[in-house]
Amino acid sequence: MLRLMSAIVCLLLLPPPLQSQESKSALERYRDLEFPGGPDASKVGFKVFEKGWQDRVALEFEIINTADLKSLRAGLKNEDRLVRSMAARALGIRGDKASADALADLALNDPEFMVRIRAVESLGLLKMKLEVIEAVKKKDEAGVAWAADLSIDQFKSKLDCAAQIRNAFAVGIKRKEMGLAKVGHAAPDFSAQTLDGKTFKLSSVLGKKPIAIYFAAFDQ
Amino acid sequence: MHEQAQLRLKKQEAIKLGAAVYLVQSHDLVRTRVFKEENRLLSRVKSPFSKNKSLVFSTALSDPAGRAAAIYGVARKCAMWGGWVENDPCWFVIDRKGILTYAAHPSFGTPTSYIKEVDDMLDALKKAAL
Repeated sequence: MLRLMSAIVCLLLLPPPLQSQESKSALERYRDLEFPGGPDASKVGFKVFEKGWQDRVALEFEIINTADLKSLRAGLKNEDRLVRSMAARALGIRGDKASADALADLALNDPEFMVRIRAVESLGLLKMKLEVIEAVKKKDEAGVAWAADLSIDQFKSKLDCAAQIRNAFAVGIKRKEMGLAKVGHAAPDFSAQTLDGKTFKLSSVLGKKPIAIYFAAFDQ
Repeated sequence: MHEQAQLRLKKQEAIKLGAAVYLVQSHDLVRTRVFKEENRLLSRVKSPFSKNKSLVFSTALSDPAGRAAAIYGVARKCAMWGGWVENDPCWFVIDRKGILTYAAHPSFGTPTSYIKEVDDMLDALKKAAL
């Protein structure tokens, strides 16, 4: 009896088992990733932050392709700005019109610059709340107003931008496919869309003529 | 946009080489079209490019999931204001045999650095055209 009681006491004193990475949701794992700036991200300027880029890419694909809508909606209220941002982005791409009110609230009121950007972008993808997008364009600081301006284009376009993005993510990416471009080696192939919506494959021009490719950042 | 504006000034050099020049945007078609056809950014500030309607000579490609950017190793590497991580801008040059011969990240140091960076890329393109 004494042994049994000792065992029970020992079990009660043990720390709870740590949640494994596998059992955490994709959004929870996104929160665990390393991002520049730490708690004071407003001091982060325009700088290269290579560490963990493959993790950021892989998890973004996973969130957009597989995260359930309930957890994404809950993510809009998460205390972590990165989680709110990614949840807002994913809900716009997933075309979740039920999130429009919550996204509008974030676009207008979230204290974090990047959350307001992602929220207003998603309203453009959803083609909802034009009055909110226009209000953000008028009242917010330059970067957010810039995103709102582009969201108005998406809102008014006949194209379903969310579906285009969704379909591109649905192709997926494996880690072994990332970072294949090495000087001195064969240029890796990729696909993209031309402005008339046709599929372009680099391999269709590779080996036929000299090629220059510029990968742009955001909207610089 | 500065890189594209500078390249547009020298587009004849790329045309003479018979080169294909692409701009990959990790955005949907609407935003990629705006980038290609409209000069919203530099028209807002006084610059040599403020009155141009379009600044992009390259063929614009939409890569909305950033998959091509990830294959080329530039995705989600560049911290912007607020901590969100975007693509790290980069030039690549590929020769007539399909070999990658040049990769360079623009410094965004000063306006004059943009010119040199585009010149460096064009030099690499000339070698790739041989």
